[in-house]
Amino acid sequence: MASRQELSEFLKSIERRAFKQAVYAVRDNETALDVVQDAMFKLAEKYADKPLAELPLLFQRILQNTIHDHFRRQKVRNLWTTLLSSLRPSDESGDADRDVLESMEVEGDTRQGESAAQLVEREQILRMIDDEVQKLPPRQREAFVMRYWQDLDVAETAIAMGCSEGSVKTHCSRATHTLATALRAKGITL
Amino acid sequence: MNNEQLTAHQIRLALDESIDHLPFRITQRLEQSRIAALARAMPVQTELAVNRASSMAVALHGDHRPSVYFRLLSTLAPILLVVAGLYGIDAWNDAEEAAETADIDAELLLADDDVPVSAYADKGFGVFLKNSRQ
Repeated sequence: MASRQELSEFLKSIERRAFKQAVYAVRDNETALDVVQDAMFKLAEKYADKPLAELPLLFQRILQNTIHDHFRRQKVRNLWTTLLSSLRPSDESGDADRDVLESMEVEGDTRQGESAAQLVEREQILRMIDDEVQKLPPRQREAFVMRYWQDLDVAETAIAMGCSEGSVKTHCSRATHTLATALRAKGITL
Repeated sequence: MNNEQLTAHQIRLALDESIDHLPFRITQRLEQSRIAALARAMPVQTELAVNRASSMAVALHGDHRPSVYFRLLSTLAPILLVVAGLYGIDAWNDAEEAAETADIDAELLLADDDVPVSAYADKGFGVFLKNSRQ
């Protein structure tokens, strides 16, 4: 059974990756934060007594299920929104009072010794890689992220995705090939 | 490491670098979520620990739980005490009232005739007699 300290360390080690993984799927930071929080709650409430070694796979399965639940709920919500919006008058002045500065985020940067140009260039490359990962077909992205970023092996990835190990290998191979081609086309060599 | 793994490794490094520079608001919210999740995990773990500790104690020292009769008695004893207490208060109250009536009767028999008999029926007169005697 994982102790409180071990559970805390585990959640700390996966929270950022889980957030990015959720962002790739739902494409919205706030929703991704909610998804990760839900997944953490479910893991802590139901599986805190499991051995530490089982937590990564359990968390991945929970995270995937939470993402799928989100899409199911969104589908239902969209249906009702579409039905109700036809009854409501349109309001286009909603964003008129919005202050752009409020939504801007200050990003701390502790890197020393790099010129501003190098920093900007590096961040652009990271963003392009991020974008390309996000553009991958969902199943390929899931397989790639779980296999190569979350350190699950082929069997664990197959269990988390609910498919065969062969499918995982195919998804990973295609994802890597697609990413390499896309990044090479943008002049990024890895 | 084959070509696919090498590419994946390079992308992984880039992704790792990108999560190191997440906005503070996001990292803070993730931290809050983690703390809240741990708080939810605690009752389960504490309960398990208590159950485990009690089962270990039984295993080590044998089952020393009190018998059914003792537990029944320990439940009924406070109730019986309360009932007995109420009965005692009622008896004491009756005795007080009887003593007061006896005082009035004695005064009625011994007192002068200028006090009307109806005055003895007045509760306040009983108190007056008690105070005047003190």
